[in-house]
This record gives sequence, structure tokens and C-alpha cells, in this order.
Amino acid sequence: MDDRCRTSDADRDRAAALLRDHFAAGRLNAAELDERLAKALNAKTFGELHRVLADLPERWPERLERAYRWLLACYPAAYRRVHEEEMLAVLMTAAPDGKRWPGMAEAADLTWGAVRVRCQPSRSSAEPGWRDALAVVSILLPLVVFITTAVPVAGVLPGLLHGGPNLYSNMFPLWLLNQFTGPLALLALSLLRLQRIATRAAVALLIGLAYLAYLAALSYLAGGADPGAVSLIAGGPYILLALGLQMAAVTASPGRRRGLQLVTWKHVALTVIAAVAVAITSYPWTLVVIPVICAAMALTSSLGRWLLVLLAIALGPYVAVPYTYIVGWGPHMRLYVASVMRTGALGQLSQACVLAAVFLGVFLIAACRESLRSRKLAPPAR
Amino acid sequence: MTELPLREPTFLILTALAAGPQHGYGIMTDVAQISGGRVRLRAGTLYAALNRLDGDRLVEVDREEIVDARLRRYYRLTPEGARRLQQEVERMRSTTTVAAQRLRLLGGTQ
Repeated sequence: MDDRCRTSDADRDRAAALLRDHFAAGRLNAAELDERLAKALNAKTFGELHRVLADLPERWPERLERAYRWLLACYPAAYRRVHEEEMLAVLMTAAPDGKRWPGMAEAADLTWGAVRVRCQPSRSSAEPGWRDALAVVSILLPLVVFITTAVPVAGVLPGLLHGGPNLYSNMFPLWLLNQFTGPLALLALSLLRLQRIATRAAVALLIGLAYLAYLAALSYLAGGADPGAVSLIAGGPYILLALGLQMAAVTASPGRRRGLQLVTWKHVALTVIAAVAVAITSYPWTLVVIPVICAAMALTSSLGRWLLVLLAIALGPYVAVPYTYIVGWGPHMRLYVASVMRTGALGQLSQACVLAAVFLGVFLIAACRESLRSRKLAPPAR
Repeated sequence: MTELPLREPTFLILTALAAGPQHGYGIMTDVAQISGGRVRLRAGTLYAALNRLDGDRLVEVDREEIVDARLRRYYRLTPEGARRLQQEVERMRSTTTVAAQRLRLLGGTQ
């Protein structure tokens, strides 16, 4: 509070209570207490109150209160409107005298509480946009992963059928197996009926680690430095990310049924096109197709905007991961794998940056548009 | 349909409210007293649990007061909440009775 800010009765009472506590603790004698009490109860500004308490240990618990308010900002806005003052009262009452900062344990407890509150279904029927989007993501994500792992297979098969040379010839079965275990792991995770967030997180982590170990074993079998082996492992972290996102989508959303209610053919079509474009990932494609899709999704509805963000998390790393597939459909089948060490690392990075900038730009434009529209409709906040 | 067993903090909060409407800090001190100092609820855990109980209609807001220039909200148990707590107590009682009987037999043979 600024020193020139005027005080209320409540502020003066609080200062008086503090002075009495300091007297009880022995920091002031009776004469000093009376003198300071008189000054406090007649104080008109915070400056005067601060001077009365200046040489005493905790000038004002504002710092602590401000720190608690900052932590409470993690909670959803609607929840905070109702509960913030109440929680602050409890926190300040529970805080021992002279406490300056919330401890690590308390900060962690408040943050985790915020996560739990965000994941719990709200009493009101209107769900926030991101939860609906997560419900749709829980339906679409297995589809996305399936497409991004199936397209390379589709690219290779015609070449195999014609009997042409194949980079994976000696370990094609292994590679084929690897391409489909990712989607299967995702489906398994989304079908499990698990209640607690922590259990789901633990299971997702275990499945992810098991998958990485399995990939490492496959690449060891295939013979280490083989370029085919590189591509085996390169897809691993991407599947982990998709696993994590699917876990979040199934836990924190109203559920798959709600997702099925909300998903439209437009969402499915746009997602399939985006996934195919990313799986093919040759330079001109992604820079043209993806921005158009982003615009189509983001500018139509709030659900579309949240879907864009979440699917970008799922598809983004696939674009940034440093390998490229160029699939030709002519008589000369080529499957080309470039590693970071050899070529094009800078090109890959710049492409990834351009795409990230496009995502961000479209999202920001859509967000501004939304907020302008809602500000025009809603009354100004109190 | 049997519901999932209550987690301990939730059970203790319901027990605390069974004595009558209480506010957040009151529930925290009551829980510490009921559990003999073993369970120390923090504000984040308490309010996440209260939010869930409110969503399940097991507790509701009783009244609000301004104390010391701060908002204080009192919560009370709903009839559904009392029923749920009773169900949980019965479940635990039958299990503990069996355990106590078997321990007595065990103590007898030694």
C-alpha cells in the first residue's frame, strides 16, 4: 500500500491488534503502547501506520498477503471470484506471527490444489473452453498418432511391392512393429478406467519408459548406427509427448462421451489433413497447408482455438524433430532420412521457427478477437 | 452400487463438519485434533477437497460472516453427506471388528 493511501477502520484495528501483540511479547512497555495506540487509532494514511510500527519486527503482513495472492492466481478465475478472500483469511490466520514468505511446502500445496480444482468438474453447466477441447482431443489424438505413424508405412509399401531397394530391408518387420505400438499404447491408456490424476500420471510415465526401453532394445537388435535405427528412436519422444497429452485429455476433460458430442466432421477433416501434411513434411507443404488449417480452426470458434493449441503441442515436435521424409509416388521410390549431424540442421530449425511463429501469430489474432468481442458484451469487471 | 472408499483427508473433513457448521480454519484445527496431530491439513488440500465435496453435494455453504475485516465462510454437512459418512463408518467398523477379533485370538494362542 502506498504511504499516502488512506486507511480504513479495519486497517487501524489491525494495527492496534499488532501493537497489543508486540506489547504482550515484551517489545513495548505500557507507556509506549498507549502512545502508539493513540497514534494508530487516529492514523489517516498508511504512512502514519507504518511509522507507528516501523521499528517492530513485521511492519505489515502485506508482503505475505501479496505472496499468497500471487500463489492463489493459479486457481481458475471463476473459483477465485468466490473463494479468494476466504482462502486468504484462512492462510493469514494459519500463518504464525512474523512469517514473511509462504514456505516451499505451502506453495506446492496451493499449486497442486489449483491443479486439482481445475480438473474437478464445476457445478455450473457451462464448462470452460479448454476442458471441452481436451475432450475432443482425447478422441482425435489417437487418430493423429495413427496417421503420422501409418503414412511412412504407406510410403514404403509400394516400393516394397515393386521389389525396389529398401533402407529398412533387414529390419522391416521391426520397424513395422514399432510404427504401430505407439498408437496401441495410446489407445490402451485412454481406455483404462483410473480415478486419480496421480495414478494416471504414474501409469503414463511407466508406459512411456517401457516404450523407450523397447525402442532401445529394437535399435540394439537392428545394429546401432544403422540410419534406420536412428529413425526408430527419433519417434520415441514424440510418442511420449502424445501419451502425456492423452493422459491429460482423458483425466481433466468431461470425458470421451462429451468429446464425441462436440467433435464435428470439420474438426476431423482439418486434423486429418494437418496430420498427413506433417507426416509427409516436405518444406512447401507445411508452410502453405498448416497456416490455412490454423486459420480455419482458430478463427471460427473458441473450441477451435483451444483445439489448435493442443494439437499444435501434439504435432509440433514432429515437425521440429530433425529428420525428414520425402515420399515420392513415382517409379523412383525414395525414403530419405537426414540426421542432425549431417545436413540441414539449420534448415530444419528455421522451418520449425517459421511454423512456430505462424501458430503463435494466428493464435494471438484469434485470442485478441475473442477478448475484444467478450469485452464488448460483458460488463466491466469490479 | 458401492462407492469408492473415502480418502483420509476427506473422511476427516466430513467428521469435523458432523459436529456442526465450521469455517475453513476451524476445520483445519478440528482435523488436527481428531487425528491427534497426525494429519495437518493445508489450505490448498482443504479447499480442493471442499470443492470436490461441494460438487458431489456432500457439503454446502451455511453462512458468511465478516470477522477482523476478513471474509469467513461456514460449511455444513448435507443429509447426503451425513449418509455417506455413516456408510464409511460402517464399512470401517466391520473391517476393524474382524481385525480385533482375530488379534484377540492371536493373542490368546501365544
